[in-house]
Amino acid sequence: MGTLYEDIVGYGGEVFGEEHMETLRECVQCGKCTGSCPSGRNTALRTRKLFQMALVDLREEIFNSPELWFCSTCYTCYERCPKGVKTTDIIRTIRNLAAKEGHMSVPHRMIGVYVMKTGHAVPIGPDQMKLREAVGLESQPPTTQKYKEQLEQVQTIFRTTGYDAMIDFDWDAMNLKGMEKKGGKKK
Amino acid sequence: MVNSTNIETPRIGVYICHCGVNIAATVNVKEVVEFVKELPCVVIARDYQYMCSDPGQELIKSDIKEHGLNRVVVASCSPRMHEPTFRNTCEDADLNPYCFEMANIREQCAWVHSGEGATEKAKDLLASAVAKAAFLEPLARKKVAVIPRALVIGGGVAGIYAALEIADKGFETYLVEKEPSIGGRMAQLDKTFPTLDCSACILTPKMVEVERHKNIQLFTYSEVKEVDGYIGNYKVKIRKRPRYVDEDKCTGCGECANACLLRGRIPSEFDAGLGSRSAIYVPFPQAVPLVYNIDANSCIYITKGKCGKYPACKEACPADAIDFEQKEEEIEVEVGTIVVATGYELLDPAGKPEYGYKYDEVITGLEFERLSVASGPTGGKIIINGKEPKEVVFLCCVGSRSHEKGEHEYCSRVCCMYTAKQAHLVREKIHDASVKVIYTDVRAYGKGFEEFYNRVKEEGVEYIRKELEDEIELIKRSEEDENVVVRMISEGNAIEIEADLVVLANAIVPGKDADELAKLLKITRSADGFFLEAHPKLRPLDTFTDGIFIAGCCQSPKDIPDSVAQAVGAAIKASIPLMMGEVEIEPLVASINEDVCVGCRTCEEICPFGALSLEAGVMSVNEVVCKGCGACGAACPSGAISIIHFKDEQIFAQMEAMV
Repeated sequence: MGTLYEDIVGYGGEVFGEEHMETLRECVQCGKCTGSCPSGRNTALRTRKLFQMALVDLREEIFNSPELWFCSTCYTCYERCPKGVKTTDIIRTIRNLAAKEGHMSVPHRMIGVYVMKTGHAVPIGPDQMKLREAVGLESQPPTTQKYKEQLEQVQTIFRTTGYDAMIDFDWDAMNLKGMEKKGGKKK
Repeated sequence: MVNSTNIETPRIGVYICHCGVNIAATVNVKEVVEFVKELPCVVIARDYQYMCSDPGQELIKSDIKEHGLNRVVVASCSPRMHEPTFRNTCEDADLNPYCFEMANIREQCAWVHSGEGATEKAKDLLASAVAKAAFLEPLARKKVAVIPRALVIGGGVAGIYAALEIADKGFETYLVEKEPSIGGRMAQLDKTFPTLDCSACILTPKMVEVERHKNIQLFTYSEVKEVDGYIGNYKVKIRKRPRYVDEDKCTGCGECANACLLRGRIPSEFDAGLGSRSAIYVPFPQAVPLVYNIDANSCIYITKGKCGKYPACKEACPADAIDFEQKEEEIEVEVGTIVVATGYELLDPAGKPEYGYKYDEVITGLEFERLSVASGPTGGKIIINGKEPKEVVFLCCVGSRSHEKGEHEYCSRVCCMYTAKQAHLVREKIHDASVKVIYTDVRAYGKGFEEFYNRVKEEGVEYIRKELEDEIELIKRSEEDENVVVRMISEGNAIEIEADLVVLANAIVPGKDADELAKLLKITRSADGFFLEAHPKLRPLDTFTDGIFIAGCCQSPKDIPDSVAQAVGAAIKASIPLMMGEVEIEPLVASINEDVCVGCRTCEEICPFGALSLEAGVMSVNEVVCKGCGACGAACPSGAISIIHFKDEQIFAQMEAMV
């Protein structure tokens, strides 16, 4: 484990290329990212602060900060950054690193639970089913939601890649470990 | 200069300028012309698009001839812009240039008013100018001879270049340096940004040139003590401190320093205290002149009156150059012009405990230079606590761009770039060192600067931004710790950076003797303490005292090329009067009515230029020194002083016409 910067460049570099990740060092803390952040308008997310944490190696602080997960990856700051910092990709990389080290926000892990249980991050609910029928579609889309037997394939991928362990998935309860059975809000 | 005016019958010509739309859009020029035509003594009144243009000036010239005008009034812009132009126009038409009066209806009227008010004010200003014009008197400019020699104060890179430039033009030049050697700060530096030239390598040939130049007389270990006189005729007293070494005999062999009982026990000023020297020393091997120097404050023989049986240095000297009987000398020189290039000091960071300067691991930028330079005490190895530092932090804006007491609002201008250079040097010399720069805006404004900054970043130097107001503190976890912790709160993050070397880019501040020197030379200083130029844009090398010019960091913080450019510019400005052989003096000066003056000397005290003195019971004005500011006239309790061209009857006529 190197510095956070080295990890970002190394880990993110595999996907985006190292040069892409190295733009982090170009950050001059101007704050245009924070100023243009639609999520930051309603949450405590201060994008500039995240980049400073990444630059000064505040690893534990950034991994444990809930704001890291408030970014909706809309890419507004990415488009606007005057120094060409690949902001959103860097935030996603930091999230991946955080997740690898066991820091993932509960809502993000819950999305994993939905995928594990339904094959969908956002499963189709009764309202959507009605809507589908109203426009002449089958109530269920032609996915794992309709072909439930195919769900096993999704789960195999999760087991093989270790994603179940990463989100701390309890196969018996079909929920996050330590969460009550009713866990997800979906009936 | 032919005087065609007749004081009894003023014949005034008035010219009103449109200045394109600058004046005409706001002031009803035609209406003003009609108004002016009715004023007493006005023979002709005209308006024109641009009075300052050639046809505009021709109009004045032909009217002077055709209508026999003996006074001219132009209403246009500020006299600071075109008064000299129109004075010359009058002179070309054989009218005395001081029979010209200017009304400022642009800056003081059209640009600051609108509607009816502007036209009415323009009329008032013209009525006032015309009223004064009737009382104008023809005046003659005086000429004074110039002593064809120059004085340069300060022997840093700016002073060296200024002296060489004047001397190369064939004028004898005195160069005064307070340290034992010339070279200044530049001689102390390692590499220069952004080209990474070896500082000493490019400077020392110029130092040698100074020493060998037949037109330069060098006074080192000397200070200017008294300056008297005026442009063309300055009398300067130079105090030469005793070196206790005969300059003519000393060969610079260094035997004395090796023999000195205090060898290696006195911190070397040149090495910023990182190296040591003897009580008899030269600051550095390439010193000019290469003459040893006894530090009278440390020398055992001088302080105690006895050094062993016989002073070791005196015994060791093969040239018999050591002379404890040497006394302070006072040398008087006469020069026509002076260039001031006294340089700068560095802010002492010890005044701010939060910078942790008391720790061995925290040094200033200049100390880093001595640590990194190959000729320095470590032979160019960056060593702290006996080992190479691996975690190096540079801290910018120490004492600059700050509103705090004891710090400075201005930007010191060179720190961003020398920090980048030093960061580069650390990376070059210690490959596995992590280098961080804590900065607030990188001001890479010069030629090749941005490129250098980018290069340094590409080399792996980390730049960490800090807002100016972010709290910062350097502490140690325990006294024995060889690491310093840089703590700061920025953007809500509590940041701690461990470092085994911290370099502070401390502010450039005016020289300690700047105040004294300003008084001595009767030049002014700006609020930041640096010497003030006569105009920030158009007269950057002049001072308000004629014949005295400024160059280098004594004027404001600047880098080497800017200092050199300024030095050469100031030297050329200082050479012009020397080449001309004489200077013209404005006749607008104070004049004493000797029948009324009681010799109370109130005016002498108030005069900022020292132009007044008591002679035979009454005050006398040195017309060359007087600037015609009028302070004396206002202060005189007996009303004995009038200012030529601004006499009471002229001013009263102006006021009467206006109200």
